[in-house]
Amino acid sequence: MDRPRVAIFDFACCEGCQLQIVNLEEELLELIDVLHVVEWREAMSEQSREYDIVIIEGSITRPEDEKRLEIIRTRAKTLIALGACATIGGVNKLKNNFNLADVKQCVYGKAANMPHLDTAPTKAVDEVVKVDYKIHGCPIDRKEFTYVIRCLLIGKRPEIPEYPVCVECKARGNPCLWDYGQVCLGPIIRAGCGARCPSSGFRCFGCRGYVDDPNINAAKDVIERYNLSVDALKGKMVLFGSGQGPTNA
Amino acid sequence: MAICQRCAAEKDIYLPRLVTLEKKRLMNPTEMYIRLSFDESEPFDFIPGQFVEVSVAGIGEAPITVSSSPTQKGYFELVVRRIGNVTNAIHRLRIGDKVGIRGPFGQGTYPTEEAKGRNIVFICGGIGLVPQRSFVNYILDNRADYGELTVILGTKCMAQRFFHSELDAWSHRNDIKFMETVDEANDCWLGNVGVVTTLIPKIEAELRSALVFICGPPIMYKFVLLALNEAKVPHENIFLNLERKMKCGAGKCGHCQINNFYVCIDGPVFRFSDLSIAPEAI
Amino acid sequence: MSIKKLKKDIFVHFIDNLIRTVKVIGVQAKGERFDYGLLASAKDLRLDYDVTLQPPKKYFLPPVETLVTYEVGDGYSSQYDCEQFVLIGVHPYDMVAINQLDELFRQDNVDSHYFARRDNATIVACDVVNPSKNVFASSMGTATVKNGYDVLLTDIGDSYLAEAATEKGENLLAKAAGAEEANKEDLNKRQQVWDKNEAGLNKHQLQCKVTDLPRLLGRAYNHPVWEEKAKTCFNCGSCNMVCPTCYCFDIQDDVGWDFITGKRQRAWDGCLLDGFTKVAGGHEFRKKRADRFRHRLYRKGKYVPEKIGGQIACVGCGRCIDACLPDIANPVNVYNRLVADLGVK
Repeated sequence: MDRPRVAIFDFACCEGCQLQIVNLEEELLELIDVLHVVEWREAMSEQSREYDIVIIEGSITRPEDEKRLEIIRTRAKTLIALGACATIGGVNKLKNNFNLADVKQCVYGKAANMPHLDTAPTKAVDEVVKVDYKIHGCPIDRKEFTYVIRCLLIGKRPEIPEYPVCVECKARGNPCLWDYGQVCLGPIIRAGCGARCPSSGFRCFGCRGYVDDPNINAAKDVIERYNLSVDALKGKMVLFGSGQGPTNA
Repeated sequence: MAICQRCAAEKDIYLPRLVTLEKKRLMNPTEMYIRLSFDESEPFDFIPGQFVEVSVAGIGEAPITVSSSPTQKGYFELVVRRIGNVTNAIHRLRIGDKVGIRGPFGQGTYPTEEAKGRNIVFICGGIGLVPQRSFVNYILDNRADYGELTVILGTKCMAQRFFHSELDAWSHRNDIKFMETVDEANDCWLGNVGVVTTLIPKIEAELRSALVFICGPPIMYKFVLLALNEAKVPHENIFLNLERKMKCGAGKCGHCQINNFYVCIDGPVFRFSDLSIAPEAI
Repeated sequence: MSIKKLKKDIFVHFIDNLIRTVKVIGVQAKGERFDYGLLASAKDLRLDYDVTLQPPKKYFLPPVETLVTYEVGDGYSSQYDCEQFVLIGVHPYDMVAINQLDELFRQDNVDSHYFARRDNATIVACDVVNPSKNVFASSMGTATVKNGYDVLLTDIGDSYLAEAATEKGENLLAKAAGAEEANKEDLNKRQQVWDKNEAGLNKHQLQCKVTDLPRLLGRAYNHPVWEEKAKTCFNCGSCNMVCPTCYCFDIQDDVGWDFITGKRQRAWDGCLLDGFTKVAGGHEFRKKRADRFRHRLYRKGKYVPEKIGGQIACVGCGRCIDACLPDIANPVNVYNRLVADLGVK
């Protein structure tokens, strides 16, 4: 098998998803055995210009980043969005709920008007260029990442769950966190994480994005049933759910 | 994991056996003809209409109806449309490659016995020709057992036609009446233009007493059934080939269920009158 | 077959001894709830539980299991899990569900992977002590059970009555040192437990005979209730996942890093889920929420019963009611609505 040339680029993010790749430990050796990694700032310094697979981490928050991403896309046969920032805009999209000047002022204070701090509304990667595959999550699930890579190497479209987190949560034998007063987003969020948060007693925050057809009526009904307000639910959804586009790729 | 002797001796319905890709030919931009043969002389007996689950290692399985007639021994033929993971992988296979096979599956097959002595009409839409071809060729190989044989075929456009030489041979035989139409055509096409239902009035055999077999895209069934209704064909004489997501092939996994029927065991060929209790069918 | 009486302290010894010789799965506390798990000590066994979070089917049909492995060039080979184990604490309604799964995995084509586990299990059922908040087994005729188990335990106060129903069960009970023969009075006490449960495990009352359901559903296909209920259905599949009689599954391949070896696994799937009927190319045959919602209740009340001699494939455990966030999954509510609107003919 020819080893595909792979590059990893990061945009606005915490680089935590790349860290998950580094954290593969023994499997990382398997990975670099089958991939020819030609560009990866977090782990190496080699550089190249043509790529079979490009992995993009992070969301797009500056006009110049859009240009950089467009150039990368022209050099990539296959492009993967890695992690919530890349697939749905992630936490960075919180910014889009506020006036941009206020955001800059809040973050940078006196330096807010410096030209290099120019900012724009946050975009997920597929709002700028075509994305071939999405690896969801904040951070990504290491098993899912390696599964996707193996699939690409054998020419298979990875089968990413279409169903919500509840499926994996119930299959693990968890009681519903709603019974314990938590506003869990499991019923409307795409599975694939193995229901990691609810299994540890934390509600689903929605980092993998909505399922294809979330039932708004059901959500409204449940809000009423549990004496919550729509705003209370929105408050729980805003962390990953601000201005979210489709999550299937 | 240690396996006890008793388990090791069990017949495993999920265990594929290997066959060898003997021939492949791209028939149009999406359809690949493949011919598979068995390494061992283990018998592979099937009835026209039955399907197999084809495995490509690491990719998965896809249900595909056998296109050749069981009268041809030692190998069988499939036509594979490139549409999902497995079918794309099948298109990439090379001559001599091994693939896994489970099956044949389906107790709802073409009624080879009941059809004896009857006039028979096949109505095919596009790739719907593929499963029907198994029974058509079976009849041609046992020609004396059956009555008048008519095959009508509608294809979307000329580029999607396939089995050219075989269809050509059919149209030159005296013991099979073959008619064809395309939905859209350019000036090179001298044949019929229009959807497949436009050929139904041209069928010379008496429809009311014939057995009629339909296979094509879901939308086609509605219109063909309307036309057959007008022609007063009894529902007991109409058979439909239904496609669903047959995953296990064994009547367990639930994906291919149509109301109370499982396509993988009760089908894939259904008598229309049996489907009156299955609104999900059409 | 014999019926023994085991004083509760003798029962504890019996279980602790058992744990030393064989893998024992039993019902234990999980937070405020209960679930099956590997039993480390008899003191963790909670036969006074109301209902377990998951039904015991996972020990025969695990959430994920490897069916076959393959090696390119070498072909496929079957994988089986054939470790012997004892499963303790199965309530009658769950036992009925296992009996149904046995039949479904046997008929048409024997599923050898299911039976590798099933045949290696010794099932110790136990009658319900504390009814759960949504149980309706009495309505479904599953509050007590007469077959399927190897041993049936009934709590009669200071003792358990243990009835062996199979040779496996006899062998198991033979290990209970200090067991006495049950006398007539003990059997009377057991009958009282059965009588009580046959009436009392009924937090939701079905308004027709359970055997009326297939015919009732035969007339209800286009009833508005499917649309009304499905309007607030998340299609989250929770009702499928916790159901003791749901057994749909998906099959997927995964390849190893050597790209030569790999495995084919099956995992639980659910008919409520979007994409369940989607074929390659994207066409989805049961796309509408209401159609999927109806399909589940038709499987329970009509389609599966037609395959297993009329037994209704809802055993009244109430887990789907517990698990359904918008509170629409209760089969009794739906069936009663149909009884009210369509009557029983």
